[in-house]
Amino acid sequence: MNPVKRRSFLKTTVSAAAVSALPSAPLGAQQTAAPAATVVVVHGKDIPKMLAAGIAKLGGWEAFIKPGMKVVIKPNVAWNSKPDQGGNTHPDLVRACVLAAEAQGASKIALPENTCHDEKSTYKISGVEAALKGTKARLYRPAKGDYKQVDIPKGKVAKSAGVPKDILECDCLINMPVAKHHSGATLTLSMKNWMGSIANENRRAWHRDGLHQCIADFSTFIKPKLVVIDATRIMLTKGPQGPGDLAHPEEIILSTDPVAADAYAATLFKKEPFDIGYIKLGHEMGIGCGDLKKIAIERVEA
Amino acid sequence: MFTRRNLIRLILFLAFALLALGLVPAAWQPWRVLLPALSPLLNLGGATAAFAVGMVTPFALPLLILPLFKGRFFCWRLCPMGFAAETVSRLNTRNAGLIRRVPFIGKGLALVILGSAAAGYPVLIWTDPLCIFNGFFSAWRQPLTWSSCGTALGFILILAASLAAPNIWCHRLCPLGGLEEMLARLAERLRARGPGSQPPATDAERVKVGRRVFLGFAVGGVAGLAYGKVKSAAAKAAAFIRPPGAVDQNFNALCARCGNCMKACPYGLIFPDLGTSGIDGLFTPVLKFRSQNESQEQFCFQECTACTQVCPTGAIRFLSKKEKQQTAIGLARVDKKKCIAWEKGEYCVVCQEFCPYQAVIEVDHKDVKCPVIDEAKCRGCGACESQCPALPIAIVVEGRNPQTPLSAPSPQLPE
Repeated sequence: MNPVKRRSFLKTTVSAAAVSALPSAPLGAQQTAAPAATVVVVHGKDIPKMLAAGIAKLGGWEAFIKPGMKVVIKPNVAWNSKPDQGGNTHPDLVRACVLAAEAQGASKIALPENTCHDEKSTYKISGVEAALKGTKARLYRPAKGDYKQVDIPKGKVAKSAGVPKDILECDCLINMPVAKHHSGATLTLSMKNWMGSIANENRRAWHRDGLHQCIADFSTFIKPKLVVIDATRIMLTKGPQGPGDLAHPEEIILSTDPVAADAYAATLFKKEPFDIGYIKLGHEMGIGCGDLKKIAIERVEA
Repeated sequence: MFTRRNLIRLILFLAFALLALGLVPAAWQPWRVLLPALSPLLNLGGATAAFAVGMVTPFALPLLILPLFKGRFFCWRLCPMGFAAETVSRLNTRNAGLIRRVPFIGKGLALVILGSAAAGYPVLIWTDPLCIFNGFFSAWRQPLTWSSCGTALGFILILAASLAAPNIWCHRLCPLGGLEEMLARLAERLRARGPGSQPPATDAERVKVGRRVFLGFAVGGVAGLAYGKVKSAAAKAAAFIRPPGAVDQNFNALCARCGNCMKACPYGLIFPDLGTSGIDGLFTPVLKFRSQNESQEQFCFQECTACTQVCPTGAIRFLSKKEKQQTAIGLARVDKKKCIAWEKGEYCVVCQEFCPYQAVIEVDHKDVKCPVIDEAKCRGCGACESQCPALPIAIVVEGRNPQTPLSAPSPQLPE
């Protein structure tokens, strides 16, 4: 632990010194000072506006979706829980993203989601089904035939998994979890959200084989272009199903680095990111940066 | 053969078959109770035995009133089971007269059913033709196994009997036919008392009929009472899980094996029992969660009351969503030796994640959260069992018979 700390300390102090001492330094020098990851945190009340503001900060939708692309959004819509209970991704956020994808000219928008509760009821109660009315997005629970078994070459424990074909074949993958307490994994954030995509037998196997390592293993394989974490309201207890105690940070968290997004989101729960197994492993395996000191957090009000 | 009469019967046959098969829009599904509920034997027999009048009770009226004026109109013109039996009977022309030597057993059957129902334990209620018809078509499911189609047996037996001895079912064996026949005769006799009609039956005849009816009732009553006494020792209460709303005391007697609850379950959790609920519980409905059905990944969903809406006899009472969520059909048990949290110290508590009633308590054991069941909250819905990652499954639901109403509030109830 110690050498890592020292190194990171050195880096941050050196880069801070560089930035402050040389405000007009040449480009090369600035790049060594550049943070390992950027997380955009948008605070506000109007969810579509918040998403638009956050995306603008990341370079606009053009950076993610080009006309004709197949887009997959992975919300967390697993439980028979109402929007204000914080068990699922907020329907307004899902809708805003789908509308943006349509506006960008996406050829296909799919939302495969393996619910934990009865899917008909879950899609309805969560408000997501209604939110998608009038759009061309398809929200569905993958059937057995919709999965394809894939290898995870860099996985240490999880070596393969069944993944919905839509996810494998898409051009733009957006991970859109809700941040909430989780009894088994401490917190559900973006990396954990993929457990709602993989086949049930893999999900069960991951619990047997070591949950955090398997979550990190899968993230060596799956590469979302964009992570949007819904932290408009967060469930602090009784997760993942709830109902539990709520807090209202009124934030959405955007990043292209899932580990960094998760690391920031963990702080909303007053947790050290590296106390959460999969964030620590994700950082160590080089999936992204979980070290808050190296993450640039850009705050936006919307 | 293709007369108008047969065309109507064919249409009815197909309509009721589609209804029983569940090949109708979702909103119509609860109407699968209609056909079996038309039979006064199932409907009134059940209501009498259970001391409960339900929403389906009025469905029994048509077949009580119709025979008074039209004889066995229902049997010859409408009954889908009768249509099937008659059609098959036509295939055998050589033995057409075979049934002449057989007495009308159906009349006795009807009396025994009603007599025993009055005693609280209707015996032989499952011989009702409408329930047998329904049981055949509601048995089809994916995947079909020998044990999953137990309720289809009666229909096959009737057709086989009709092939061997034409018309034996409708004319000799059918208890509903027997009831209709008796009601028709009763009406005839009452009309005969009116002015200007045939001479009334002699006293001797009347006594004979009265004696038979009394005897049938008495035999039924004694059988019912005896059955109630013997039955109690039959099965271990924890060995089987009944659908929510199942009555406890006389379930095996009340259940007509019509297969409605099994087919109504959107998750395919309910199967015909093969003996865990006692010998007399053959083909009665029991729930099989994942430990008994490997491919099952669903559980008795807290928002669903489908099976409670379709019972024609009241063996399964109608439950509101609130009542369902307060009814414990079973109790989950954790086997610590198999549990990956208790035994291997892995992060898991998937059971706690999935429990809709927050009935799994987490306790710290060697720095890992481990599951313990809160018996006051566990409804036995099987959510924990449906996704337990342990091999073999470490959390298994056992039955609670009688089903206990819980006072602990359900977190699922709308506020």
